[in-house]
Amino acid sequence: MSSPDLRTELCGVALANPLVNGSGTLDALTAGTLGLGAFVTKTVTLHPREGNPPPRIAETPAGMVNSIGLANPGLKAFCAEHLPRLGELGVPVIASVGGWSPSEYATAVARLGADPAVAAIELNVSCPNVESGCISIGTDPHETRALVERCRAETDLPVLVKLSPSVADVAAIATAAAEGGAHGLVLINTVRGIAIDRERLRPLLGGGGGGLSGPAVKPVALHAVYHAWAATGLPIIGMGGVASAQDCIEFLAAGASLVGIGTSLFADPHLPERILPELGDLLARHGARGIGELVGVAHPRVSSSTRA
Amino acid sequence: MPPPPARSLPVAAVEAVGAYTLLRLRDDGADPGVPGQFFMLRAEPAPAAAYLPRAVSAAWAGDGELAFLLDVRGEGTRALARARSVAVLGPVGHGFLTVPGDAILVGGGIGAAILPWLRRRLAPHGRVQTVLGFRTPAHAVCAGLVDPDATVAIEPTLVTEPLARLLPARATVYACGPDRMLQAVAALCAEHDVPCQLAMEAAMACGFGACYGCAVRIDGVWKRLCVEGPVVEAARVLA
Repeated sequence: MSSPDLRTELCGVALANPLVNGSGTLDALTAGTLGLGAFVTKTVTLHPREGNPPPRIAETPAGMVNSIGLANPGLKAFCAEHLPRLGELGVPVIASVGGWSPSEYATAVARLGADPAVAAIELNVSCPNVESGCISIGTDPHETRALVERCRAETDLPVLVKLSPSVADVAAIATAAAEGGAHGLVLINTVRGIAIDRERLRPLLGGGGGGLSGPAVKPVALHAVYHAWAATGLPIIGMGGVASAQDCIEFLAAGASLVGIGTSLFADPHLPERILPELGDLLARHGARGIGELVGVAHPRVSSSTRA
Repeated sequence: MPPPPARSLPVAAVEAVGAYTLLRLRDDGADPGVPGQFFMLRAEPAPAAAYLPRAVSAAWAGDGELAFLLDVRGEGTRALARARSVAVLGPVGHGFLTVPGDAILVGGGIGAAILPWLRRRLAPHGRVQTVLGFRTPAHAVCAGLVDPDATVAIEPTLVTEPLARLLPARATVYACGPDRMLQAVAALCAEHDVPCQLAMEAAMACGFGACYGCAVRIDGVWKRLCVEGPVVEAARVLA
């Protein structure tokens, strides 16, 4: 049997392999694309943001809590200074967008969606490190549906919606995104967390609370992917604690079509290079000729009509 | 630039130096960079409790050795002090710019750890004077690694006292230590119009510009220390 094919696609965008970075966990202009199949930008907002005061990160068992606060140069500078160079990376670029109102999102989506350097849009409605806007939209099904509808109208590119696991019913939010016309979902964003300074007994991070990531959150992420896929059947970029080829296979089985790596890139930027050959071996061991054959296999068999 | 490949280097020796720990790795001959650059270090295998690497600048490099002086405080540094081999990524970041002429080295606490190599580099080019500050005499034991003739201040005396006695001077000041010390050193140097480079520290997850965790006030805004530094001209931090 020939070795499995790692090439795949998401919403019509062709990728050399199913690995991407989580938004905000790689600066491709500084470090390159590390062998990933696509690059997801750090979330861009209409206006520049300095980000939260330090400390911004705290290590926790098998992970970390961060409170970066969506530091970014703003839409105008991003489009002028970053996008032209991102367009030369040689991999599809997924532009992540955040905002404080639907019109802020819509403005950014219209601008980014018209740029030839961008292959798809990610709507970040789940950042835990800002006080309103992003985070509150992604906790409310009605706001999520309305935002996706509004942004869909601004672009012909695939629109993916990045969701938080820190909600009562992630399937309900995923369904709302699907009803709004999302082409795909990205989950999970970080899990809301807090780290306490062991000496001062006060919140350790400058922003107070933060978002937990790393291997500690993997079961939470798998649960969210599993139920979002069961509820919507949409293509999903699954992420949360991915640190090995085996983790990738588990996310595919739960329903992901692509797999994101985040915190583990910090620990080892060469991880994608090591995962890819192992992923081929694991696919072969499970008798799969390509990525698509394992997507959703963890679910009980249902007819496609019940998922539509 | 893609991050440099991670190398696995065997531990040659681990030695107590007063309150600190000297980790000596057998080097594989790769370019060690310049003093003040840093390496991301992870014990092999990494304990789950300390998943991320530690950003550490070398105490010295060369002659088949890469050495780090550690302040062992938590799971990550404890694992490094017990490891048989260490995953090493680097050197990364911008190190000290060695300026020909006389030099004054200023170190505070574990900040002294990166000065031995710098002193060796500077010694052929001019007179090098060293002032170091520590919490306790046990922490001050490492002063001998930097400069046997160093002037040492122990709390409550601050390192800025002996530094102030050396200024003004026709020399470059190179400093590494806690933030408040660096701010005080930068202010003193500005007052006397003496050029000064600071090796700064910040909590850092990746070391190659990805995580945005190591934000430091540079040029009046939060910037990534791993990209801008860790060695920064003092004037950019006072701005």
